Amino acid sequence: MSEFDIGSGLMQALIAMILVSTFMLLGSKRLYTSVRAFGFQSLLLAFIAAVVAYSTGRSEIYIVALLTLILKAVIIPYIFIKISRDLGVKREIELYVNISPSLLIGGLLVVISHNLAQAISVNTQLSNYALSVSMSMLFIGLFVMISRKKALTQMLGILVMENGLFLGAISLTYGMPLIVEIGIFFDALVAILIMGIMVFRINKTFETVDTAALDTLIG
Amino acid sequence: MIRYLLLIPVLTAIFCILARTENQIKTLGLVGSTATMIVGLTIVIDVFRHGTITSWENMLFADAFSAYLILIISLVGFVISVYSMGYMDHEIKHDVIDLKRLKIYYVFYHLGMFSMLLVGVANDLGLWIAIEMTTLFSAPLIVIYTKRSSIEAAWKYLIICSVGITLALFGTILTYYAAVQVLGEGADALSWTNLIGVADQFDPTLMKIAFVFIIVGYGTKAGFTPMHTWLPDAYSEAPAPGTALLSGVLINCAMYGIIRFHTITAKAVGPEFSSNLLIMFGLLSLGIATPFIIMQSDYKRLFAYSSVEHMGIVALGFGFGGPLGTFGALLHMFNHAVTKSFMFFVAGNIRQKYGTKKIDSVTGVVKSMRYTGPMLVLGGLAITGSPPFSIFISEITILTAGLMQAHIIPTALAIMFMIMIFAGFFNHINKMALSTPPEGVTVGDASKWSLGAMIILMVFIVVLGVYIPSQLYEMIMKAVDVVNATGM
Repeated sequence: MSEFDIGSGLMQALIAMILVSTFMLLGSKRLYTSVRAFGFQSLLLAFIAAVVAYSTGRSEIYIVALLTLILKAVIIPYIFIKISRDLGVKREIELYVNISPSLLIGGLLVVISHNLAQAISVNTQLSNYALSVSMSMLFIGLFVMISRKKALTQMLGILVMENGLFLGAISLTYGMPLIVEIGIFFDALVAILIMGIMVFRINKTFETVDTAALDTLIG
Repeated sequence: MIRYLLLIPVLTAIFCILARTENQIKTLGLVGSTATMIVGLTIVIDVFRHGTITSWENMLFADAFSAYLILIISLVGFVISVYSMGYMDHEIKHDVIDLKRLKIYYVFYHLGMFSMLLVGVANDLGLWIAIEMTTLFSAPLIVIYTKRSSIEAAWKYLIICSVGITLALFGTILTYYAAVQVLGEGADALSWTNLIGVADQFDPTLMKIAFVFIIVGYGTKAGFTPMHTWLPDAYSEAPAPGTALLSGVLINCAMYGIIRFHTITAKAVGPEFSSNLLIMFGLLSLGIATPFIIMQSDYKRLFAYSSVEHMGIVALGFGFGGPLGTFGALLHMFNHAVTKSFMFFVAGNIRQKYGTKKIDSVTGVVKSMRYTGPMLVLGGLAITGSPPFSIFISEITILTAGLMQAHIIPTALAIMFMIMIFAGFFNHINKMALSTPPEGVTVGDASKWSLGAMIILMVFIVVLGVYIPSQLYEMIMKAVDVVNATGM
């Protein structure tokens, strides 16, 4: 078997596991479980990047894999845990949509994304499902954002969307050029920091991180 | 040269962090933005004379379209920093903000300038990074007043624009994928010039989907309806010069991003697809802005919805296309930047005087403020597109283009919305400007710095209404060539 075939087989498995981790996030009612699911997902993404680097023989993608590992699987989950500890956020996640309908909607979104991805007829060499899963994560992330009340879980939604994009980029085009990739990582980190500061401000001013309290500006 | 353009705002921001007194910070801010403007104009002239320039191994570049954006950013950015001198002085004196807040304002003002200039000179799909940076750096400007409502506005801004920008990144990745299919791997595949050159070989279905993501994504930042919901909140909560930066300058950067992709998509799938989307979003923005303008009770939100309206008009111009439509849209970007900043300066003066943003509580501005009052009336006329002010010219150009390209129904609808907006808008302006001021409001106007900045803008508003200098005309024509991918 060539390096490419091994990579292709591994990719299928990893991508399937990423989809599972997305549903773990969607289905959990506890903040820590969600953050852990996100960390796990980022870890898998780092593996995927490494597999792509291995099977295409492009060593600069290893840097991307390493960055993903450090930034998304370690630093960002750490920031989350720290913020929620410092603020004493309740562990339980408050939802607008309950867990079981959430999971059903998630499944529906996967079907829709799969059909959409088929329509583009993209010919991905390493995995046929990368684009479908990438789009599913985009939509599920968006859904997580609008269905959760807490500021922290909304941030988590954005991060899932970003992971989905990363999956798309890395498996469709073997990543953007390195400098662009690093720029995107930098932006993600700054975004999390600024949002983190904002969460502290919201907590200080409103004495809650429930975004349902932010409802004065209308019309 | 381009490197200096990016370096100056960053250095200014760093010096502002180090500065110790209010005067130091304000002087540094003014010096920094003056330097930015000088370097910016030098680049604009350079591009105008010698064509596209590149720097730093092609990562940075400036063609006529980017130069035009740089012109808007550096010019309006400079005027805003002049206005900030007077405005922030007042806020400090009345203990509205402290030294720390002032510092945050100036640091993020200049970081914002940096990111916006980066939007103009990013020579590839790295444009996305720059636009994301503009969101992050401008969010702190909204929370300068640490009130509940401004925190709410900033959170909405961050969340909604982050989602938008993530969708835009997906569109960017799809475009990159389409390019890689044709050009092969490597950073070169990303430069605008290369992309335009081979865009006709791109997979049409892929580009269609990519453009939908781009227009929804960047459209969120450009204030297209129905993604505009963050905009009135952010604009009404930021301090007046910050709002001027958001509405006058930043909004054009997002528009610039959309139009770059519009050019590529038009070449890949034919002009109808992306043009029709632009016309649709343009009309939708105009249509939704109309009732909100007519029913508005807060004058900063009123001007914010007017930004939604004007971005809709710009989108219509680009959507109608052809040399005339694109020319009108580009001119409108400039005119809107100048006039809207002017209006927010007026709003800032009024808020500092009356201490409220409610239209009903503000009366008799003409009597209580000798200069700001007439400027409110003139600005109100200018922003709603009455002759002989600059916006009238660009609106007429866009509408003519619409008729010439046989987009009869969109043009008719646009005219109808514009007339309704004119009536609604002016009704509010009348209430504010005329009759007698409420008791307790003394006669007296804003500081010389503030009025000076407004006079600079007034010159542009009036002069461009009657006459477009031939240099500016040629400059815009060159940008039109870039946007329409003609003459290459």
